[in-house]
Amino acid sequence: MKIIRTHPFSINRVSGLDEWFRHPLAGLPSLSSFINNLGEVLPGVTGDKLAVDVNEDKDSYFVTFEVPGVKKEDVKIELNNGLLTVSAEKREKDGEKESSYSLTRSVSVPDGVNAEGIAAKLEDGILTVTLPKQERSKPRTIALS
Amino acid sequence: MNTTCSPSTCTPATSGVTESLRKPLYNINGNAEAYEIRVELPGVPKSNVKLDLEENILTVRGERSSTVPEGMKALHRELSPLSYLLRLRLNAPVSEDQMTAKLEDGVLTLRLPLKEVAKPRQIPVL
Repeated sequence: MKIIRTHPFSINRVSGLDEWFRHPLAGLPSLSSFINNLGEVLPGVTGDKLAVDVNEDKDSYFVTFEVPGVKKEDVKIELNNGLLTVSAEKREKDGEKESSYSLTRSVSVPDGVNAEGIAAKLEDGILTVTLPKQERSKPRTIALS
Repeated sequence: MNTTCSPSTCTPATSGVTESLRKPLYNINGNAEAYEIRVELPGVPKSNVKLDLEENILTVRGERSSTVPEGMKALHRELSPLSYLLRLRLNAPVSEDQMTAKLEDGVLTLRLPLKEVAKPRQIPVL
């Protein structure tokens, strides 16, 4: 039998209610919650969930995860059907014993992302995935001939 | 001595702090030679970690760099931008000059060797 840990509605470290007061709109255009709840039902998407921040500037989206103690080679990033999935394997040494567990999170990627240009960086236990926006076609005026 | 925190050995910071800070996740291991403390400080660069041992109180501070850099708009937020503070009361004297600290992948590992007087001794029976 497989034991699957589930966390209905991820509330990671920060109280969900507090977060709601600070960012009442954050949950509405949620890129991820639907998919994540789905992930808990689907086999193969198990493990604890990673907390995530999504930011944007005019050129890119930035998806940020906290992965303290995770090595670069233990991070897997996948983009599949517009769904960005990050899995991190965390290994902990406790004397001779070594244990590991995995953390996963999926975020649906908005339209208009240049999939070829996606880049990721791991620094100080923070994983940042940069998703460049596609060049929007600029409005043009067409001269009458 | 392989133990998680018990009230007698660890004291969370409660007083004298006005800014918002949070207690990081941490783990303490120990043997006859040393304490080993692992503190999770994601988002804290090396230059922003401050360690302090005064009397028997060990203080770890980690200033987190902002999670939303300038000019960016937050679309979805779950990570806390608060900085970290951990204060531990050590219940055995440690050799301060032999303390080592390492920050790697957002995890701070401290090794605090015990002073000779605190190490277990075998007393031979004559």
